[in-house]
Amino acid sequence: MPSLSALQVEQLSLPAEKASLLSLITWIWHIRGEVPLASDQSADEAFARIDPLFAHSGTTHARLGDVVFLTKKDPLAQDPLSIVDSATLRVEPSGEGSVLRYHLVCRALLYCFLAPLLFLGVAQLTLSLGELAKPTPEEKAKAEAKEKAKAKDSKALQLNPVDKFLGAPAPEKPDAEKAKNGKKKDEDDAPKGFSPTPAYVFAGIFAALYVLGRILEAWLIKRRFAKALA
Amino acid sequence: MVEGGPVKRLFFTWFQPAVLFSMIAFWYYAPNSIAKASTAIGIGIGFRLLLQILELLFPRHASWQITWKELATDLFYVGVSYTLVNLAENYIGSDVAVEALQKGLHLEKFAWFMGLPLLLQAFLILFVFDFGQYWMHRGMHNWYPLWLPHSVHHYITQLNVHKGAVGNPVELFLIGLGIGGLFDFLPRAFLLAGAIGMSVGAYQHINVRFNSPRWWRWAFNTTEHHSLHHSQDFESTRSNYANTFIFIDRMFGTCIDGEAELLGMEGGRRMSIREQMLYPFTEGWKAWKERATRTPLFAPAEASAVPAE
Repeated sequence: MPSLSALQVEQLSLPAEKASLLSLITWIWHIRGEVPLASDQSADEAFARIDPLFAHSGTTHARLGDVVFLTKKDPLAQDPLSIVDSATLRVEPSGEGSVLRYHLVCRALLYCFLAPLLFLGVAQLTLSLGELAKPTPEEKAKAEAKEKAKAKDSKALQLNPVDKFLGAPAPEKPDAEKAKNGKKKDEDDAPKGFSPTPAYVFAGIFAALYVLGRILEAWLIKRRFAKALA
Repeated sequence: MVEGGPVKRLFFTWFQPAVLFSMIAFWYYAPNSIAKASTAIGIGIGFRLLLQILELLFPRHASWQITWKELATDLFYVGVSYTLVNLAENYIGSDVAVEALQKGLHLEKFAWFMGLPLLLQAFLILFVFDFGQYWMHRGMHNWYPLWLPHSVHHYITQLNVHKGAVGNPVELFLIGLGIGGLFDFLPRAFLLAGAIGMSVGAYQHINVRFNSPRWWRWAFNTTEHHSLHHSQDFESTRSNYANTFIFIDRMFGTCIDGEAELLGMEGGRRMSIREQMLYPFTEGWKAWKERATRTPLFAPAEASAVPAE
């Protein structure tokens, strides 16, 4: 097992951190928690029990006294700690017994938290590119003339006799009234291919995913540690 | 085979054909006020959600089980393809290319196509697209410049509902290139083609086991076929290229019927999103540099060589 460098030891978080604005911000992607140990369980025993959780590809861990330091690179999906990028786990006395106190850093949670901002940015980009792509009045007139010519041609839009026999609905003829309605709608809406709606939808999806992940993953990890220690 | 009670077995035997035929019936007979693209989008999202639930409740392999991080990662790629890639396709992509081709060659669309029966039109739209896609995909597995953007999609280590979107965005343009735009078809035929494509193609990347009927496995791409295409065994990955119709692979001798559980490249290394985005370019640059500086294998004979006597 490699030993920890002096710098890494210095970086290990203190057991009783004061609540501050910084820790409130870091709560977004830092998971802290504790699991009580059985009264007769020593630190050696506790670490031996959770050791299999570290036996996955891309994981490096080192123990220094009652502290385990852990880092992961590209963990596989089925790794029980796949969400973790780095962690410190320490066994500490608490009340009459002792507890396993853990501090996990999960960048996936941070990226998921920031993803809605990215998609809101994409929505803004789509809107501004849509503005640029809006046709000039000349182009509009040209397109309208083309559409009218097309509408004349499309009178021939007919179903194959087989489909008529089987009862499929006949295709619609684009009549003048419909063209008018369509035109009105076009003026207000973004040009085709420049709708920001999907980006807004994905911003919403990732906001919901973040809330789900922050609660679910903290719960799952606590359950995994408790199960391993039991 | 799916194991369990009679209801479970019945469900997983008939689910795929039932969805396909009800989709065909729906889009064939739906009144014009309902048969619209917005309905198709709604059905597509609903179907994905249903498959996601099936995957959670009835996983094919525990080793492919979806997790929160895996879902979030997959949805990121889906998000990128629905937003940024779609946005870029306004400027480059098959629609733009087809329009340029038509203008340049003074081609008209093939209007006679519209007179064919609806289902034949739908089949041909799908077939023409899939045929082109087959050769593009086969090309990706055989020519290094095309392999680079596609390679990262092969670093997925398990199949899940949204895994089809995982990959480098450059690949999404290549795979989306088709010549369907040359034809003039009835809107209903296009919607039918989309519905058939969805009802068949959705099972390529999914962690659910179905008892697909024999005719289905003969004609269509299945999870089994596609898991082999993604397996860690190199030779097996060079098979089953078609997107929808696996009989195209049968036509050209590249179909392998079978399945695999251990997936991925380099023994199943999982690539981060960052690496997926950069890998084609960094590897391309490496290959380019190596090519420029390597000593030729068959260097011209040096002048100092002494001729044999």
